[in-house]
Amino acid sequence: MQSQATQIAILILITTFIFLLMPLFLIIYIRSYTRHKKNHLLEKEHMRQKFESEILHARIEVQDQTMQTIATELHDNIGQLLSLTTLTLNSVNLDDSEKAGKKIGNSLSLINKSIKELRELAKLLHGEQVVENGIGYALDQEINWLNKTGAYEIEINNSLVDLTEKSPDKDLIILRLLQEIINNIIKHANATAITFNAHYEDKILHLQIKENGIGFNYEQAAVAPSGMGLNSIHKRIEMINGKLILNSSPSNGTNILIEIPYP
Amino acid sequence: MNFFTPIVIAELICLITAVFFLFKDNISFWKINIAYLLIALSAEARGSFLAAHHHHNVGLFNTFVLFEIAFISYGMYYCLKKYTNPRPVIFTGLVICYLIFTFFTVKNGIHAYNDVFNDITVSIMSVIFVLYCLYYYYKLLNDEEVLDLKYHPEFWWVNGVLFYYFGGTAINLFYGLFNIRIFEHIPLRLFIYNIINIILYSNWIYSYLCRAKQRKLQS
Repeated sequence: MQSQATQIAILILITTFIFLLMPLFLIIYIRSYTRHKKNHLLEKEHMRQKFESEILHARIEVQDQTMQTIATELHDNIGQLLSLTTLTLNSVNLDDSEKAGKKIGNSLSLINKSIKELRELAKLLHGEQVVENGIGYALDQEINWLNKTGAYEIEINNSLVDLTEKSPDKDLIILRLLQEIINNIIKHANATAITFNAHYEDKILHLQIKENGIGFNYEQAAVAPSGMGLNSIHKRIEMINGKLILNSSPSNGTNILIEIPYP
Repeated sequence: MNFFTPIVIAELICLITAVFFLFKDNISFWKINIAYLLIALSAEARGSFLAAHHHHNVGLFNTFVLFEIAFISYGMYYCLKKYTNPRPVIFTGLVICYLIFTFFTVKNGIHAYNDVFNDITVSIMSVIFVLYCLYYYYKLLNDEEVLDLKYHPEFWWVNGVLFYYFGGTAINLFYGLFNIRIFEHIPLRLFIYNIINIILYSNWIYSYLCRAKQRKLQS
């Protein structure tokens, strides 16, 4: 009887112990889950801040690029035109009215050309405010400026001007990508013809840049630490969940295809 | 003194902590904790005193069960209302508990009120309160807001309740069936009640500390 009572006592004690352990494990689980949820939210916030900082960075770079372009244009193009105008006007001989008239006419045409160049620059500066008018417009402005230099034979197929979807943050990064690719072409490619294709299909923005330059060894360039270009392009594309396909080999030109989910 | 049992001591410490930390609280639930602890301490102390003098104290604890049902239900209502409208659930629980209490009091006979403990009410009430606690945890997990549970007063208050009512299940179910003593003279039932009461009041003391800290940070 005594041993049976003891056995029952032990049974009740063990049952109670188990019944106390269960809430303990439940509480541990809940605390662990809440901790993970908190960490997840912190990580999400951190990534959001990183993304915003990258956007700011891209914005500054776009501004720098535009400023550089304007500075170059002012110095090389407009500066030259106005200097020539000054020279021409200085050489006017008021006694020879026929020749003076011709020279004044030339000066007027030079000034008109300067005004036209300034207007183009203003458009570029305004276009740098970018995404108020949409990515199609911004890309157009950038490519038109390149076209204006006359250094390349350019073919443009840009159907993004009519795009109704907008994503200002992605637009800025896409514009910056295009600027970097154009810079690379100007600096390294020795190309004579460039083709730009841009269209929007199935919620994906497709951008293709093809040139007939000297090409390069893509694998080597990707590994080599020299230059920010390729790494920066890859980083930016990854940030907006895009895809980059680059085909290039020495003397075969380069074909870059970018696909970005949009908006 | 015979009535300074472990439960009485735990309740006394809990009451003193509650008075110190919750007296100036602007939320009524926390202040009601003080009132409840006072009632619980009085009942427990009086019960121990009566037992020590070989008088029946079951009627006292039967009456105390009524306060216990009301207070714990109110506590769970306060904790749950942040996430949902708990009125239907809480009122259903209250009705079930009081109906069962009334039924078994009448069944045992009013004359037996001081002799027969209404253990079935306690068993059913324990199950209901455990379900409330699990419902609270479910709502807490599903909520978008991220809380620092280490210092969340409601979480620790509910923890205490869960430990007490879930841990006491075995002894509630076997109430009256065995009059087993361990360590030669301590009834097993009382031994387990001591442990789960200490766990309950420890959790509540910590929740009062967390509440005081929360008030300080909010002010």
